[in-house]
Amino acid sequence: MQRILIASDDEFARELIRLALGGLGAEVRCSGCGEAMENLCARVLFDLVIVLRTAPFFCGRELIGRLRPEGLRRPAIYAVSWQQAESTVLSLLECGVDQYMTFPISLQRLRAKVADNLIRL
Amino acid sequence: MNSFYMICAAIAAAAAGVLLAMLLVETLRRRRELWRNDILRRRYLHIVMFALYADDGAVPRFPMLRRAGVRLLLAETLAGVAAMTCGLDMTVLRRIVKAYGLDSWLLRRARRAQGYRRARYLALLASLPVDGAVAARVVRYGTSRNRSVRFQALLVRLAAEPMAVLRLLAEYAWPLTEAETAQIMALLRRGVLPVAYEPLVTSPSGNLRRVGLHIVRQFGIEEAEPLLLRMLADARTPELDAEALRTLCALRRPLIRREVRECVARMSASERRALIRCMVRENYSPRFLRRIFDDGECGYYETMVTTYKRCLA
Repeated sequence: MQRILIASDDEFARELIRLALGGLGAEVRCSGCGEAMENLCARVLFDLVIVLRTAPFFCGRELIGRLRPEGLRRPAIYAVSWQQAESTVLSLLECGVDQYMTFPISLQRLRAKVADNLIRL
Repeated sequence: MNSFYMICAAIAAAAAGVLLAMLLVETLRRRRELWRNDILRRRYLHIVMFALYADDGAVPRFPMLRRAGVRLLLAETLAGVAAMTCGLDMTVLRRIVKAYGLDSWLLRRARRAQGYRRARYLALLASLPVDGAVAARVVRYGTSRNRSVRFQALLVRLAAEPMAVLRLLAEYAWPLTEAETAQIMALLRRGVLPVAYEPLVTSPSGNLRRVGLHIVRQFGIEEAEPLLLRMLADARTPELDAEALRTLCALRRPLIRREVRECVARMSASERRALIRCMVRENYSPRFLRRIFDDGECGYYETMVTTYKRCLA
C-alpha cells in the first residue's frame, strides 16, 4: 500500500486535505510541519509528502534532502500554500518540490494529481 | 487578640482556597470546552466533506448543535472549507447554511456585537454562500465608523451579489488598502468574482483601478501594458500611478517609455526609491536606469544589486 504524508501545523487544513484524499487506496498520515515530519520521514518511506506551508523549505534546513533519501526519487513532494509570488514558486521548484499549488485549492484537482502520481510510481 | 488574628487568618486562608478552587474549576471547564470544540470541529468537517462528496440532496445532521458556542463552530467549519477550496459545489454548503439558519444567526450576532467582534461575524458571513437578502441586511454596516466592519460588510455584499461587483466597489467611498485588496483577490481566486481586468483598469473609480492592477499583476496579463501606459499618461491619482508602475515592473515590461519617465519625474524621492527596490526585485538591468533616474539613485540601485540588500528589497 502506498503511503502519503500530509504535513501542516494547521490541523483544519491537514484534515481537509486528508479527507479529500480518502478512498485513493493509499495510507494517509498526518503530522506537524517541523521535526515531527522529518522524524516520521526518517522512520517511514513515504511515496508522497504534501507540505501545506512554504516556510519549512526556506528555513535553511535543506528539507528536501532530509525528506528524500540519497539517490531516491521518492517521496514526491507537493507544496500547497497561500503564496503566489513567482519568485517563491520558482525557488520551491528549484529546490526540488515536484508540484506547487495555491490556496484556495481545488480538491478534485489535487486528488487527480495525487492519483496520477501514485499510478506512475 | 490572638484568637482574633487566628480567625482573620483562617478566613483569609479559606477565601484564598475558594478562589483557587474557582480558578481550577474555570481552567478545567475551559480546557474541557477547548477539547470538546476540537473534537466537534473535526467531526463537523468530516460530516461536511462527506456531504460534499455524497451530494444526495439530504441535509446532514450535526450533533450537539444546540450547545452554547457550537453553532459558531459549524459556521467556522463551513467558512474554513469555503475559504480554502475552490471549484466546490456550493449547493451543499448553501443547503446547510439555510437548514440551520446560520446566516440569520450570524446577522443577529453581528447586530448585538460591536467593533472587531462584529467584523468577525461579518467575515464569517462573507465566507459562507449567502443570498441577496443577507446582502441587503448588511448594507447598514457600510457606513460604520469601524473600518473593518465597513469592509467586511462590503465583502458580504460582494460574495452575495457577484454580478454587482463593479457597482459595489465603485460605490465604496474609502480607498482600499493593500490588505483589503488582497482579501478581494482571495474572493476572486475562489471564483466568486469575475476576472475582467479591462473595465476595472479603465474605470474612473480608484478602487476599481486598484483591484484591476492587482488582477493584472497576479495573472501576469501582459496585454494590459497599453492600458497601464495610458493610465500613467492620464496621471489622475499619484498613488495609483506608482502602483501601475509596480505592475509594469511585475510584468517585466520595458520601462524606457515617455509615460514612465514623466511619471517617475512626478514622484517624490521616497516613492522613487520604493520603485527602485521593486525594479531590483524584478531583476531589471541597471544599464538603462540613467535615462529615468539621477546619478544618486542609480548608485542606490547598483548598491542594492551588488550587495546582500537585494534579498531584502
